[in-house]
Amino acid sequence: MSAGVTTAVELKMDWEIQEDPQRTADFQARIDAKGLIEVDDWMPHNYRVGMLRMCEHHANSEIVGALPEGEWITRAPSLLRKLALIAKVQDEVGHGQMLYHVCQDLGKPRDQMLRDLCTGKTKYHNVFNYPAPTWADVAMIQWLVDGAAILNQKSLAEGSYGPYVRTMKRINMEEAFHFKSGEDMVLTLMSGTPRQKKMAQEAFDRWWAPCLMFFGPPDSDSTKTGPFMTWRIKTKTNDTLRQTYVDRFAPAAKALGLIIHVAHKDKDGMVAIKPDGNPDMVVDEQIQFDEESGHWGFTQPDWDEFFRVIKGNGPCNKQRVALRRFSHEQGHWVRQAVMGSAGLPPSAN
Amino acid sequence: MGLSKIRQIEAHDDSELSFPPEGDAKPYEVFIQLNRGQPHVHSGTVDAVDGKMALSYAKKHFGRDQECVHMWVVPREAMISTNYDGEIIWPLTDQGYRLVRGYAIDVRRKWERFRDQEELDRYQDDDIKEMF
Repeated sequence: MSAGVTTAVELKMDWEIQEDPQRTADFQARIDAKGLIEVDDWMPHNYRVGMLRMCEHHANSEIVGALPEGEWITRAPSLLRKLALIAKVQDEVGHGQMLYHVCQDLGKPRDQMLRDLCTGKTKYHNVFNYPAPTWADVAMIQWLVDGAAILNQKSLAEGSYGPYVRTMKRINMEEAFHFKSGEDMVLTLMSGTPRQKKMAQEAFDRWWAPCLMFFGPPDSDSTKTGPFMTWRIKTKTNDTLRQTYVDRFAPAAKALGLIIHVAHKDKDGMVAIKPDGNPDMVVDEQIQFDEESGHWGFTQPDWDEFFRVIKGNGPCNKQRVALRRFSHEQGHWVRQAVMGSAGLPPSAN
Repeated sequence: MGLSKIRQIEAHDDSELSFPPEGDAKPYEVFIQLNRGQPHVHSGTVDAVDGKMALSYAKKHFGRDQECVHMWVVPREAMISTNYDGEIIWPLTDQGYRLVRGYAIDVRRKWERFRDQEELDRYQDDDIKEMF
């Protein structure tokens, strides 16, 4: 065991790099033929870094994603819901473990990834910077956010990096239950009392826009889309995925009696209140099915808010990272003990 | 708004952690068998300091969402593998002599000298098909 030898690995994109032209051509040919790249294969530096960055971001998101939901375990409204939520949170952390493994094999020690997340050097998915103040938020997260995640991950499962693709397939299998359980919770709330419906609508208003942002900035603002599509690190563009999402969820929400609003949020991520006491939101008139294009219209989310939240100024960024850091610090002695580096005898082999 | 206190009171801090990295544990490859008699199939990797810990992680990780009757964990460093680039495992020369299909046409043609069409078709229905 090589405890303590882990060093910081600087893996950065380098667009000036000169790659071997023959190898690059063979590599691209394998990708174009829908072949998979494996861990020991030669790969261009930027492919390795791009894949690692995306996978690390994904792994971080699974870990941080468990935080807003985990705090509801003790407050779940029934034993069935509690069991399902525990299983879901456990799944998410397990997904993080699997994805960190894919990253480790690409060249970054796990230890370093966990530390970088605690010190804010790496990011996680923006959507987890929003609060989950009611049980209906848990329902909406499982329906809307996991729904978005499945859509995204299905496209990633058609990518070119074998270990990531296989992990994606396995994750999607588990996400399917999260989504169904979320759908069940939303259906229960929307079949309930006026108070339950109101709670569901308010949670929906908090989560709709973050879910539209889930797929990333518009293609015109996304710098990585080009090379990532060529290498099949991504297989669908942000805008394509967003449209597919709206086509599925806008009519479903409508059928359930949920109204899609364009809402303004305050710094806590709650729908802002106007001076007259009413919530600052209007019905999104763009939500219409367009016969000609075959797609549903929608109002673009507030992209200024998106970039503000990404930079660390969202409603819950600081809370989430602080909690992760707290847990990592609390676990220090445990890791030391299992690694045999705390003056304690190391484990069996 | 706020649920449990710990989420509020922990101050945000971007500074370096006060303790050194503990280092990574070793990767173990996990193979699971879904039913008795079937082969073990590679299922993923876990990080652990020893075999016992690896097996316990593997059970939680890969044995929960499907029926699974048996499991192997193998330290990755103990695995020796070929590589895709330099090594050819399946020879590119004609290996027909070691396959059923390498004989099928010839044998059929030779039989035709001894038996009529209908009898031969019936005989072939029971014949071994594509196997090693």
